[in-house]
Amino acid sequence: MIPGKAFVAALAGFDRMTTNRLSGLLAHRSPQQAFAVATGSCPPPEPFATLFGREPDLAAAWRRCADRRVPETVWQQCIAAGVEVVVAGDDAYPAALLDDPRRPAALFVRGDLGVLDARRVGIVGTRNATQRGRETAARFGYELAEEGVVVVSGLAKGIDGAAHRGALAVEGAHPVAVVGTGPDRAYPAQHAQLWEQVASRGALISEWPPGTAPDAFRFPLRNRILAALVEVLVVIESRERGGSLITAREAAERGVEVFAVPGALQSRAASGTNKLLCDGAAPATETADILMALGLDRRRAGRSRHDPRSLPSTDDRRLIDACRREPRTLESLSLHCGDSLVDTAMAVARLEHSGWLRETAGWFEAIDDWADLA
Amino acid sequence: MYASVPSAVLFCAEGHLIHVEVQVSAGLPGFSLVGLPDMSIRESRDRARAAVVSSGLPWPKHKITVNLAPSGDRKAGSGLDLAIAVGVLAASGVISPEAIEGLAFIGELGLDGSLRPVNGVAPMVGAIGERDVVVPIASATEAHVVALGKVRLVANLGELVDALSGDAPWPDHDVVVRPDAVRRPPPDLADVQGQPIARHALEIAAAGGHHTLFIGPPGAGKTMLASRLPGLLPPLERERALEVTMVHSASGIPLPPGGLVCDAPFRAPHHTSSQISLVGGGTQVIRPGEVSIAHGGVLFMDELAEFAPSVLDGLRQPLESRMVQVNRAGIRALLPADFLLVAAMNPCPCGGGAPGACVCGDAILHRYARRVSGPLLDRFDLRVPVHRPAVDDLLTNEPGESSMVVAARVLAARQLAVERQGVLNSALAVARLDDVARLDLGSTALLRHELEHDRLSGRGYHRIRRVARTIADLRGHLESGVDERDVALALRFRATFARSMPTGRAA
Repeated sequence: MIPGKAFVAALAGFDRMTTNRLSGLLAHRSPQQAFAVATGSCPPPEPFATLFGREPDLAAAWRRCADRRVPETVWQQCIAAGVEVVVAGDDAYPAALLDDPRRPAALFVRGDLGVLDARRVGIVGTRNATQRGRETAARFGYELAEEGVVVVSGLAKGIDGAAHRGALAVEGAHPVAVVGTGPDRAYPAQHAQLWEQVASRGALISEWPPGTAPDAFRFPLRNRILAALVEVLVVIESRERGGSLITAREAAERGVEVFAVPGALQSRAASGTNKLLCDGAAPATETADILMALGLDRRRAGRSRHDPRSLPSTDDRRLIDACRREPRTLESLSLHCGDSLVDTAMAVARLEHSGWLRETAGWFEAIDDWADLA
Repeated sequence: MYASVPSAVLFCAEGHLIHVEVQVSAGLPGFSLVGLPDMSIRESRDRARAAVVSSGLPWPKHKITVNLAPSGDRKAGSGLDLAIAVGVLAASGVISPEAIEGLAFIGELGLDGSLRPVNGVAPMVGAIGERDVVVPIASATEAHVVALGKVRLVANLGELVDALSGDAPWPDHDVVVRPDAVRRPPPDLADVQGQPIARHALEIAAAGGHHTLFIGPPGAGKTMLASRLPGLLPPLERERALEVTMVHSASGIPLPPGGLVCDAPFRAPHHTSSQISLVGGGTQVIRPGEVSIAHGGVLFMDELAEFAPSVLDGLRQPLESRMVQVNRAGIRALLPADFLLVAAMNPCPCGGGAPGACVCGDAILHRYARRVSGPLLDRFDLRVPVHRPAVDDLLTNEPGESSMVVAARVLAARQLAVERQGVLNSALAVARLDDVARLDLGSTALLRHELEHDRLSGRGYHRIRRVARTIADLRGHLESGVDERDVALALRFRATFARSMPTGRAA
């Protein structure tokens, strides 16, 4: 006996299936009947009769999908990947999504959705993050997780991954990821291990069934779920037209408070977050700002991580501070300190050695003690 | 009647002595040419005949046989026209055989009897030994460079026959310098505003002979910097200058007024260049490639990543052996190719480069980084990050150090290196590094850290030490060791491509 959810999982993976269409199919119908309607084996009721009439090739496409997505095999796939299918109406379905105007009809989940009962903060940002951005994300992730806050992010490259790594570094933390591919399909591939950790310690949520490829259109849709799930959203770094701005807009529409981390005016990675600040987002400069918005007391958390690096001299500190504000070149550092190129080269070589600076393509960035997680 | 006329053909950048043997004998009028000539030599028959007739001389109405000895080697080029015409005239009795004794002839004939220049006169004249040589007027400079005997310049076949038969003295033509051969001073380093790191890199490259890769966004001045390098190199030594002159003559590049190429050449092939044009070769005529033309000087490859990967890999062997060996069925040619490779590329396809500014996707970056293979990248001792100059630097009117000042330091450093070890620092053997570039405690610690963090490969480690030795030489440091400052600076010259470079491939 194939469970009803197998039909839901099969339907969710149809070509040109949208949240609305899936919700419409499942409304007032059992999953088996919905599957029959979509594949044309029983006459479509309204409004699908109109829809098929308007888009005749849709009916054909769905009929073809029926051969490819046999509920039984899709179900086996879900079981093999350890994916649970949660539909609106289930007890496990996240309460925060229930009243959402565009709530997903079904969720494909690895891990335990129960962790969403705790306080939830979303940390998002650009994939092309700077070293500082990733460090900030890791720091926020770590410090929020220490307070027992569930860190929700997208497991993408850059900020998202760093936030997750920061949260995972806290023992007993339950991070949550909302992803734009099938929950079994780690994307980017180098985050495969991170995916497993999030799935085993928190929850990994997707609107798409296992095996779904990372198509560009799925990520903005994923962003809305992320925005709907959190109480506070923090944007660490974003370009002027970044996906995280979509998340921020979705969050603002849902009354979720949006924080943005201010950045240098020249920094491209901060142009989006600075714009958010202009538009009324609250500035987040430390974790306490975010905890305050959640109404949590920050005073107990006086602990900080131990930094094993040797303390830099006053002159070196000037170099580090200069690099902390924005990536610097050797020339600009030498001008900044008034030292010769050779002396500056000497100083940065020592600072690289002691772990305070990092060089990429001739640009120097300061490393904070969160670098190992960023 | 029989006549034998010495001439020469060009093969790669080498001249080969050829004896053009002509026999005019009784039989049906005809002309046969033997001795493995190629198409351009076969056509000589028609040019030679027309030139002789136009000059008002008789073309024999007999059987003419022309042999190009040694007859086993393939020959190409139109430079044998004159020798064939003179051979026919001598064999048919128009010129007496004694008149052409001790003379060699090189040149192409026009149908009106005029004498035209051909490529490679310098190596060809080099091949004819102590004979006097007759060449076209335009080839005068090339012939004078290497000629052991007298160089006779003639304008056309008629003039030549008059001189040979004693009716007139040898004509005295003025040597006209081709306008494109007038030497322009190389661009000066003083024009470069700011860019202290890149300037320093140029100085190091010139002093140590280190291959250099500039990595920077468009508009940062990579091309401008690279074109300043020849001005920093010392003039070529006599022997090297001769080699360069031969290759330039063979490639048809106008020689400077003095004939000898004394300044380091600068070649900048476009990135669409084929492998043959870069490395040398060809089917009919084997031509020297850009690597040989840049012999003794600088080969600048702008937009390195845009070159076809196969073309780039063709560079590896010449870079290693400093010469090119081109093999064809029955032919083998060696071309010199000892050049300083300077290349420029963007850090990524969008050119953004700086952390947080690049908009390239991972896959694109990965593909871009792969365009230049690891082995080729390994040949660059200096990988210099170039940034757009600051606005203040551009607007300042204060000129930087001029090429002359830097070239003096470069020359001194090169002499130091050659006196110490006989070669430039870039060619230092690994075994000798401990003698001449011993590391002190501080620099050992720096390099150990880089090695331990996978930011430096074994090969990179030696490279850093060679570069550090050059930096020490430049500041006149005579001790056998290099100190921490040299190593710290050398470490700045191994930039990686933006964020794409996995640690495993770190310098």
